[in-house]
Amino acid sequence: MAILLAPGGDYEAVRVAFDAGADAVYVGLKGWSRGGSRGELSWEELLDCQRLVASTRRELHLALNIIPKPAERARLFERIPPLLDIGIRTLIVNDIGILRCLRDRFPALRLTASIGCGAQTASDVTFFQQLGADAVVLPGTLRPEEIREIRRISGITIEVMIHMVEEFILLGKCWMPSYMHLKPSPLREGSVASGVPEGTDRGLRQTGSMKRGGVGACFKICQQPWEFYEKQRWIDTRSFPSRQISRVAEVSAYVAAGADILKLQGRSLSPEMLGPLVRRFRDSLDGRADLKNLERQPAALPVSWTVMGR
Amino acid sequence: MRYELNTSIANLRDLRDSDLSAYDAVYLGDIFCRLYEGNFLERPEDLQEGLRILHDQGKRAYVTTYAAPRNDFLPRMRRILEVAAKAGAQAVEVHNFGILKIAHDEFPELPVHVGGFANVYTDAGVQVLREFGAVRFTPNYELSLDEIHEIAAACQSPMELLIHGKMPLGISDYCFLLEYEEKWGVKCPDLCQKDLFLKQGDWAMKSVGKGILSGKDVCVLEHLPRLIRDGHRHFRIETISETPAYRHEVAEVYREALARTLEGSTEEDPRWWEKVRVHAHVGLCNGFYFGKSGMDYAGIRPEALGSLLTISPSV
Repeated sequence: MAILLAPGGDYEAVRVAFDAGADAVYVGLKGWSRGGSRGELSWEELLDCQRLVASTRRELHLALNIIPKPAERARLFERIPPLLDIGIRTLIVNDIGILRCLRDRFPALRLTASIGCGAQTASDVTFFQQLGADAVVLPGTLRPEEIREIRRISGITIEVMIHMVEEFILLGKCWMPSYMHLKPSPLREGSVASGVPEGTDRGLRQTGSMKRGGVGACFKICQQPWEFYEKQRWIDTRSFPSRQISRVAEVSAYVAAGADILKLQGRSLSPEMLGPLVRRFRDSLDGRADLKNLERQPAALPVSWTVMGR
Repeated sequence: MRYELNTSIANLRDLRDSDLSAYDAVYLGDIFCRLYEGNFLERPEDLQEGLRILHDQGKRAYVTTYAAPRNDFLPRMRRILEVAAKAGAQAVEVHNFGILKIAHDEFPELPVHVGGFANVYTDAGVQVLREFGAVRFTPNYELSLDEIHEIAAACQSPMELLIHGKMPLGISDYCFLLEYEEKWGVKCPDLCQKDLFLKQGDWAMKSVGKGILSGKDVCVLEHLPRLIRDGHRHFRIETISETPAYRHEVAEVYREALARTLEGSTEEDPRWWEKVRVHAHVGLCNGFYFGKSGMDYAGIRPEALGSLLTISPSV
């Protein structure tokens, strides 16, 4: 049976996601995840969530998916033993070098290659399997036939993000925000002393970098209107195309193709929005949904569930 | 080899039209789109001919590969790698880990250069890629020269740096230019042959269909002494979307500038700036090399900052 993996941006969202039927929830640790300050948990909040998980015999996955600079790497590794101590085993990472280092140093970890690693093919998945990843996240833009082909590779868990925003630029392959604006993150007083694992304290993170963010990284410039020119001649005013992918009507097709984990994007979704979303996919996964009434792609969802709400 | 100056060319027509005398090496193929006009990566016979032309000119011949492939690209990629190996390509450039694995497992005789879309951000990443046969690395464009220097020192591996041209900023699965086929009366693959820019406020990017490039041209003419001092010797002028005239004239400037720099001179020739500015319709920038926004320019030449005014405001 496939696992339903939901996002959780705070304790309440994590609780709601489990109540709505998630088998596992992924969260970010403040300062170390790519989602920026929205949708990240402090260490204390993480402890609370982990207690909740322990009581429900489900699982918490932790996104540590920024790419730390060399000076930050040691601090990241220092966080791992405490995470293992509280029972967190599954980490989502975004850099092949970090993945390899974590694999070598902490064999007890289950390591997931983040969607930002850019895997889309069977050969990519083989690479990550050989590298020591336990799981790889594939975008929901891949069709079930592609997942079936990829599933032939054994020894690695296949996660498919079947609810996500497909932006014009592929995830993990975009430097447009930092081309426009990049600056070191501000220093924050006091949080080092309090023991909060904030990479941002060092002023090393760069606002604007999708890969090394952690401080509200993306400016979503792709969602703003552009003036389109051929040489000096104005042609059009337009936005980059993007769409919400929500393959709730195709859950069974992805499961049949061999997806082990169905992942939903949206760590910044409010509990009120997250609950119905998770329930919808739970029902579909359990065969309770009325598929005839479910719209196939592209599903129409409120704007707040799409660009701003992810 | 004192240093290598290389560039990229997508198809046989551009290769034949280009004066490559100022280059040491050329990457063949367009990494963005399978439908790009005459793309070497879709035409094994053209690729074979392209490699022959380069070898006849005494150039090192490299073959690049797609930056964001799907499963159905892979048979074609295997065929291209096979041609590259048989025709004596000196290296293959990969931007994608799956293609890296194929190259390493099935064509171990081909040295691998890692391209800018492979997200090389750390020395640990370089170490992993070396295990898969990689011998040269283009660090992610977001890295500063200080960071690149740190990685190179830690790994003792050669880095290849973009020193001039439009820096890749993103790649898509979708080509929005197709939406204009009917309106413009121009069909794919001719759509992306136009000079197309997207402008927002005071900044611009170039569209090549599935690829987005910086609007400004990265230019490090002023900073070549620093690059040489840092030990870098592999330099790229990105011309995949440029004319043969751009390819030739900009390379001549850098060939001369690099020669002077290696002789220890820091003197710049004003004509160099005239030449590069003629081709930089939206101005010049330094990319991320100085830890600033990619479109910023650091240096003593404020006039390099921009000719954004060449793009008129909308009406």
